[in-house]
Parts: sequence; structure tokens; C-alpha cells
Amino acid sequence: MSPVVVGIAGVVVLVVVFLLRMPVGFAMAFMGFVGISCLRSVDVGFSVLARDIFHCFSSYSLTVIPMFVFMGSLAAASGMSKRLYDASYSLLGKLRGGLAMATVAGCAGFAAICGSTNATAAAMGKVALPEMRRYGYADSLATGCVAAAGSLGILIPPSTIFIIYGIMTGQSIGKLFLSGVFPGLILASLFIGVVALLCWRNPALGPAGIPTSWKEKMRGLVGVLETLALFTFVIMGLFLGWFSPTQAGGAGAVGALVIGLATRQLTWQRFLGAATEALRITCMIMFIVYGATVFGHFMAVTTIPIVLADWVAGLPIPSMAAMAVIVFMYLVGGCFMDALALITLTIPIMYPVVLALGFDPIWFGVIVVLVTGMGVITPPVGVNVYVTKGIAENVSLETIFKGILPFLGAQVATVGILMALPQIATFLPSLASY
Amino acid sequence: MDGFERFARFLSSWLNWVAGAGLVAMLALVVIDIGAAKLFKWPIPGGIEMVGFLGVVVIAFSIAQTQVLRGHIDVQFLVVRLPRTARKAISCVVYLCGMALFALLAWNSYAFGRALWVSGEVSMTQEIPFYPFVFGIALCCTAVFLVLVVQLLREVVRG
Repeated sequence: MSPVVVGIAGVVVLVVVFLLRMPVGFAMAFMGFVGISCLRSVDVGFSVLARDIFHCFSSYSLTVIPMFVFMGSLAAASGMSKRLYDASYSLLGKLRGGLAMATVAGCAGFAAICGSTNATAAAMGKVALPEMRRYGYADSLATGCVAAAGSLGILIPPSTIFIIYGIMTGQSIGKLFLSGVFPGLILASLFIGVVALLCWRNPALGPAGIPTSWKEKMRGLVGVLETLALFTFVIMGLFLGWFSPTQAGGAGAVGALVIGLATRQLTWQRFLGAATEALRITCMIMFIVYGATVFGHFMAVTTIPIVLADWVAGLPIPSMAAMAVIVFMYLVGGCFMDALALITLTIPIMYPVVLALGFDPIWFGVIVVLVTGMGVITPPVGVNVYVTKGIAENVSLETIFKGILPFLGAQVATVGILMALPQIATFLPSLASY
Repeated sequence: MDGFERFARFLSSWLNWVAGAGLVAMLALVVIDIGAAKLFKWPIPGGIEMVGFLGVVVIAFSIAQTQVLRGHIDVQFLVVRLPRTARKAISCVVYLCGMALFALLAWNSYAFGRALWVSGEVSMTQEIPFYPFVFGIALCCTAVFLVLVVQLLREVVRG
């Protein structure tokens, strides 16, 4: 059997093993080992298993992940999500749907210090959902906006998905972070527009809240300053080349720790909770990265990425049409697979194709993050939907999915805008030095 | 069974504490390195390799506890729709595959660690030997294997 046929069989079996509920990282490492053993020898397979785990876990470039994850956990434990929500509420609360808009704005703000979709949805959902319920918001709007706005967590820097994409493709993590800023702001604005439109058509969905005085608005804004300062410190440090990505994450984690201590929100118990959470998330991500590394070695042996890149580059269709097909594949894949798993599985195969088609790799990174961000809110595997359901236990999954649909439209529109105007993603990175 | 489960949980929890200490040490080292480099123009010699070694401690030592908490991502939507018997059979097969993976990882990491020990391979700047960290990975993979055995037995016993 030719290596390409073995490779295709390996991918098919891997998807079957995923569907049988084997943890994603375990499945990729296992299938990668089996594939390499078939094509080379069992001894080579053993060697790859042991060497890759040590090299992956001891890689300095990958230590950026525990640092940024710890920063996000410490920020949540320090009560920053609550203060962000209060600030957004004081500005937008009196409008129809104002609490939902404040939730989106709060998620965008929290995404600037946390790089995970489900952590953003969980942190903001715990604060926002009880408030929206208190003001008589429709369950579909309240839960839909929390789940959807949580997806901003991987688009607005820092972002774990950008970090993984950057490490897998050799692109600058600093530039990738910057590329997500404008698309993230556009998507957040479109989400707010969706809430305004829905509440304009049906005011019962989100009744107006109590107006706040200018004094209250100003006091609320103080709650934003700490997040803004931390975000600016971390991102400008990367932008100006002061920090390596790992150092930026470490500086951000200490910044979040200092804020937590200064505001007296971060107790010893909360610190332990944040560290435990950071360990769990880091381990989960890193084992997937390890599994993807072993599987990536198997894919390299099969030569599938090169064969596929040559084939797609030779197709008699415009490159944008080929990109539309790739985006569609990611959209479908995102419905069934976690964003991280999808990216680690497909990037080694798709990245050479995208380069062969002549697309900017930074721009493609933003497109991939946006499209897999849709996957976190689409059935049947929308992780954010289950996170939201965990907070709003008496709301049915159908209601949440129904509430998400208009926000999904905003995400499709953002992908369209970025495909038409790639400069939105590539302008800021072109100014960066790191 | 209960004693074996208690031992696996105790080992996972203890390893997780080591990982937690590694995380705090990594953060401290990164921040001290920034301060030393920016303020005194004297970065910690071998800081990068030490952060890398702490990465092994943080990640490898938390795998078992993450498995205890079932924190590794899996794709649930198909299996949860199957009848209970089929679900249980699939679950057992998946646990057995996971046990095979971690047994192989533990054994081969041990063999790799021994090879590094014999060859005396060390890091470039601080000359820290590699083998203790590779042996650490072997120990942690053994702990994950034990956790998976416990979870498989629970799945079988649950009826």
C-alpha cells in the first residue's frame, strides 16, 4: 500500500476513534504511533512516542500556553469579569437589550485578558445571566448572546488558538495576536448590532434597564481601566518587542495577580482554584498538541500535505473559490470537533495548501480562528452552548441554539468582510516588530 | 478495589501538587528573568532551558489528575445517542486503548531516560541532565495508566 493510502486510512480511522469518545489528544498520539509503525517500523513508532512527549513538554516556545492560561484564570479569580460587566452595564443598561449588549462588551473586554472561548462564556455567563433573568430578558437572547460572545475569547488577543496556530506554522505569535484585534472589534460590534435589531423588532426580548447617572457611568469606567492597562501592557510589550510571548504571558499573569491583591478579591483559596484550573486547561491543551505532533509526523511520512498542496494548486479554479471550499470544510468540521482539535489535526495538512494558493498565512490564521469560533456555538458539539447550559440549567439546549442563530449570521458576515478586505487582519501585524 | 482507587487518586493528587509548584516556579522564573534582563541587562543564565524543564513538570505531572477529573476533550455527540450496552462496550475499548498508549509511553520514556542517563546528555548552558525529567514523564504516564485501570474497572462494575 502506498504511504498516501495509508495516510488517508489513518485520517478516517482517527475520525472514527474521535467519534467513539476517545480523548482527542490520546487518539491522535495513538493513531500517529500506529501509522508510523505501519509505514516505518514499531521501533521508530516507540522512539517517536517517547521523544515527542519530552520535546513537546520541554519546548520553551510552548511554555507560552501555561503563562497565558494562568493569566486568564487569575483575571477571573480576581473578579475582573464582574467589574467589566458592571462597567458595560452602566453605559448600555438603559437601552433596549442593553444588558445583552453589556454582556457582549464585557465578553470582548474579558477576551482581551483571557484566551479561551469557554472560559470567557463561563466567566461572563455567571455574572450576566442572573441579571438578564432579573430584568425579564428572553432566555433565547440571554443564553444565545453569552454563548456567542464567548467565541470572542479566541479572536481578541491573547488567544490559545492563535498560539497553537503560530507554533504549528512558525508564524509570529505577536503578529497573530495583533491580527485578531480589528476582526474581534468588528465581530463584537456586529453582535451588539444583532441585539439592537432583535430588540427593535421585538422589545419584549430585552426590556430596557434602569438609567444610570454620569457619576455611576464614570465609576463604572474605572472597572475597565485595570483590564485596559493589563491588555495594553501585554500586547504593547509584544508589539514593541519588549517581551517574548512566554514573557508577555508571565508579565500578564503577575499583572492579574497584582490587580487581584490590590482589589482584595484574590484570596488564597481563589488563587489555588485559579492555579488548579490553569493546570487542567494547560494539560488538556498540551496533550492535544503532543498528540497532534505525533500525528503530524505520521502525516509527514505519508507525504499527504505535499501531494494535496500540489493537487489544489493545480486545480483550474480561482484561488478564492478554493479558499471558500476550505472555509466550508472548517465550518462543517467545527460543528463536530473542538476548535483546538480541528486546528491541530488539519493545519499540518491545510497550511501547505494555503501557501501554495498564495494566501497570507496571518490572514488565514484569523479566518481559521473565526470559522472554528463558529464551531463552538453550532450543534451538535458547540462547547460554549454546553457551558451556558451548565449555568442556565433550566433553559433547554434547543432554546440556546435558537438564540444563537442570529449571532451566527454576524460571524458569517465577519468572515465575508475579511475575505473581501484582508487588510483588516493584516494591517496591524505589518506594523509589528516581533 | 477501593484501596487501589484511593492509591491512584492520592498519587494523581500528589503529582498535581508538584505540577502546581512547577507552575508557580515557572511564573517566578519568567518574571525574575524579565526584571534581570530589562533592569540589569543580565538575563538569568540558562533561563530559557530552565523554563522548558519546568514545562515538563507542569504538564506531565498534571496529566493524571486531569484524567481523574475527565478534563481531556472528547467528542460526545455520537456515543451518548447509543444504547447503554453499546456505550459501555465502546467505553471499555477506549479505556483499553488509552491504557495501551500510556503503558507504551511509560515504558518507552523509561527506556529513553536510561539512554540519556548512560550517554550523560545535559542542557547546553546550565548543564542540567535531561534524564530526571524523562523519568518523571515515565512516572506520570504510569500514574495515568493506573487511573485508567480504575476508571475501566468502575465502568465494568457499574453494571
